[in-house]
Amino acid sequence: MTNTGGYEERDVVVRLTDVRKDFGDHAALDGVSLTIGAGEAVAVMGPSGSGKSTLLNMVSGLDRPTGGSVVVGGEDLARLGEKGLALFRRRRIGMVFQFFNLLDDLPALDNVALSGQLVGMKARAARERALELMDELGIADRRDIHPASLSGGERQRVATARALMNRPALLLADEPTGALDSRSGDQVMQLLTDLNRLGQTLLIVTHDPRLAARCARRVIEVADGRIARDGSVDGATGTVGAGVAGATGVAR
Amino acid sequence: MSAVWRAARAAVRRRRFQTFVLGVVVMVSSAMAVATLGLLAAVSGPFDRAYDAANGAHVTAEFDGSKVTAAQIARAADAPGVTAVAGPYPAAVLHSPSETGDHPIGMSGAFTVVGRDRPDTPVDTLELGAGHWPTGPGEIVLNAPPSIGRLEIRSEHEVVTPDGVRLKVVGYASSAGRSAGGWVTPDQARALHPASLQMMYRFADAGSDSALKAGTAAATRGLPPDALTGTGSYLALKANLAKGPNTYVPFLTVFGVLGLIVSVLIVGNVVSGAVVAGFRHIGVLKALGFTPNQVTAVYLVMVTVPAVIGSALGSVIGGLVGKKLVHQAFFGIFGNELVIDRATVPTWVHPVVLIGMPVLVALSALVAALRARRLPAAVAISAGGAQRTGRGLAVQRKLGGSRLPRPVSLGLGWPFTRPGRTALTLSTVVLGVMTVTMALGISASVIEFGQVRNQTDRIQVRVDLNDPEWNPPGPAHSDDQLLALLRSLPGTAHVSARSVVETRLAGSPDAVRVGVESGDTAELHPDLVRGRWIEGPDEVVVSSGFWHRRGLSLGDTITLDSSDGPRPQRIVGETTDGWDVTTLDWNRFIPLSPVRRAQGFSVQLTEGTDPQAYAAAAAGTDPGLHASVNDASDTIEKVVISVVSTLTLMLITVSGLGVFNTVLLNTRERRRNLGMLKSIGMTPRQVTAMVVTSVAALGAVGGIIGAPLGMLAHRIIVPMTGRGTGLDLPDSLLRVWSWPAVALLALSGAVIAALGAYLPARSAARAPVAEVLRTE
Repeated sequence: MTNTGGYEERDVVVRLTDVRKDFGDHAALDGVSLTIGAGEAVAVMGPSGSGKSTLLNMVSGLDRPTGGSVVVGGEDLARLGEKGLALFRRRRIGMVFQFFNLLDDLPALDNVALSGQLVGMKARAARERALELMDELGIADRRDIHPASLSGGERQRVATARALMNRPALLLADEPTGALDSRSGDQVMQLLTDLNRLGQTLLIVTHDPRLAARCARRVIEVADGRIARDGSVDGATGTVGAGVAGATGVAR
Repeated sequence: MSAVWRAARAAVRRRRFQTFVLGVVVMVSSAMAVATLGLLAAVSGPFDRAYDAANGAHVTAEFDGSKVTAAQIARAADAPGVTAVAGPYPAAVLHSPSETGDHPIGMSGAFTVVGRDRPDTPVDTLELGAGHWPTGPGEIVLNAPPSIGRLEIRSEHEVVTPDGVRLKVVGYASSAGRSAGGWVTPDQARALHPASLQMMYRFADAGSDSALKAGTAAATRGLPPDALTGTGSYLALKANLAKGPNTYVPFLTVFGVLGLIVSVLIVGNVVSGAVVAGFRHIGVLKALGFTPNQVTAVYLVMVTVPAVIGSALGSVIGGLVGKKLVHQAFFGIFGNELVIDRATVPTWVHPVVLIGMPVLVALSALVAALRARRLPAAVAISAGGAQRTGRGLAVQRKLGGSRLPRPVSLGLGWPFTRPGRTALTLSTVVLGVMTVTMALGISASVIEFGQVRNQTDRIQVRVDLNDPEWNPPGPAHSDDQLLALLRSLPGTAHVSARSVVETRLAGSPDAVRVGVESGDTAELHPDLVRGRWIEGPDEVVVSSGFWHRRGLSLGDTITLDSSDGPRPQRIVGETTDGWDVTTLDWNRFIPLSPVRRAQGFSVQLTEGTDPQAYAAAAAGTDPGLHASVNDASDTIEKVVISVVSTLTLMLITVSGLGVFNTVLLNTRERRRNLGMLKSIGMTPRQVTAMVVTSVAALGAVGGIIGAPLGMLAHRIIVPMTGRGTGLDLPDSLLRVWSWPAVALLALSGAVIAALGAYLPARSAARAPVAEVLRTE
């Protein structure tokens, strides 16, 4: 039940064709094909060890498939070297992790600005853009605070702002609410929903059916390295948060 | 204990590389410690043992036989503090005696013959190596050190005095204190017109010059004031021998101490890193029921095991190197036969190092290990990989806003987040740069010393005369003719003639070697440490060795035997090296030489003259000449430079390994950060740049601190080495630095750091990140 057709080529953000990933004798992914169109919000679900994290690594270019092809934002990742993959991640995707992965040495603002500086923005311009984003995400007043002194929800917002710095074609979220209490989790879910409403393409990997139901309009279930189910969900509802507006500048 | 052992073994396995680094560092330091201690022990140990075994004389005194009787001398010697005496014996000095027979052993120009009835006296017990003791007139036993090898008594071997008295060689004996060149019966000695009476003393307290002076004063109390004409101290002989090891001891000590400090720093860094990285591990151990003492023990065992292995290997290597060095140190030094077979690294050095190094390592690990002990289990488990924050934040902020590429500014911020580790790493680099600087300085000074000694800057060609007896044909021209011939050769700027004679210094039993020079000595004389070159009659310059042995000052007068009899000579200058005394009084001293003429000429060439071609031309003027270009470099220079280079290489390696270890710890601790940076698009090259920058900056600071420290150490070591070897060194030996060289040395810190950082940086850049991003 893979979903491969029905997209205009220019609208395709992710296209996996018969992707396979072996770890020794074990096939973590076994012939996965899927297409994600611009503006979609897709949740990948499945039990531990089902292959969903491996799938995310393929899409983000953090790992290479054993077979098949991965095209993201028009780039065939198989053709890119290590440096090419790094540049691809810089410009095309943003990533949000369960454990935030912020630099403890830097204040919130500089953590966000970092992505901009890597693509060559001047420090001042990067900080300005970072502050705008943080303002949109409701954490502008935390700009000078170090990650260790932020709440979990705030940290995840900082991480999200960082992921959005370079207007990525695709936002990848790996268990974004997994380390958060339910209130913070709600805030983050709301944020992701709002971003998608503004047109940001989302790929969320999660265990949490609540997160999938709330943020995604399409759910892919992975089991034993294969796509077990791929379909839309009902009731993905929510309202556009007051904080998220034009500054996120989501790319279509 | 087995649980501790198992946990420590697991800890070692997890840190194979750091364990290896630790082992290597301890090995290198132990080897240096053993070699240094071995040399230090060789300075006095072997000599004292050999000298005491032979009941060597502490003081050998010479009395004027016309002013005091033998009975008076013997009576006065019955004084407190005098433990044994031998003598007085009549002593005669033979100027340039000759030998008959096919196997001459070579005799000094001033040959002392002592009349003694037996060899086995309580002081200066002689070892008769061959033959028998003289029993009647016309017989002599020669002083022959055992190092010459076994000598046979030959019937045709005779010593002929300048007066024509023939003395048949009936035996060979050796004297630890070198009390005479030969021994005859007392009656025979009296027939040789003895100038003095020789008396030898051993004292209860013979540890210092002042003790020996006091002892001598006590043993000569009540004798006429001018009866004592001279004394010789065994400490001079000992000091002369110590010159060998003393060439190496100062810089080996400094290198050894640096090595130890670097080891301590690296051990501290490794263990504190292991504790920080192993917080969770510590928590687990405690949760499993390890007591705080057991946790401390795990960390101590973890470093002590490689330290024990390292010190064992180092001790063996150090023993071998030390033994070689000790032998090398005494090589070619006058009187070395006393010690050369006994000189080795003493046994006590090995246990000291074998126990001391691991203890030192454990002590350096203790602070960090105690931290692990104090850590509450719950905190340790939950701390996980969380990093402390709040350090160097203002700096981080400034760097974030700077114009530097972001990977560089991020790297620059690293040192500020772990000040303790930064301080340890910085110290390691400082010591590395200090070593490089010091080593280059020492090498430059040693080369400069060779130039000063051989005068390669002002004498380009040396012309030597064949000795017709050994190497015919002899020269066909007289000295004056040869001087004129050389002057007339194209390319000659200045020429001087030289010869060396041995004569007697009033009040001294030893022969004095006098360099006799003439010609353009004003232009060709060696650099003076103090005073000036000879300008008038009866003026001399002396070598610094002689200066210190005799405790001289400028303006002092010494009396030398010349062909005209004793002549007072005023000291006007001191040279670093060279003959004991240098005189320009050719006509009075040259007749004392066996060949009674010049032995060679020194030539300075005019600018642009080819020394090779000149040497060939000079040799062509007379079949009795051979000429060579003066570009000699001494064995000692080569040995010192190679030893210094080896030690430097070792310390640079150790210091580089220290940096390597720090970077390894940093990148391990930050692997999640590195993973994240890669996930947001940092290229492998940028990651490498960031990691290398994080220590290269530190290295640059280390270089700026280390280079001046190295220069300072050089300034201390060179004169110290000079004093240890009894040489006063000219200032030019300290002026070896040029500003560009110093700037390069200051940069070397960044280079050491970058070299040490490159591999771990590259492996961090290549490491897969997907997993680490997902775990806490």
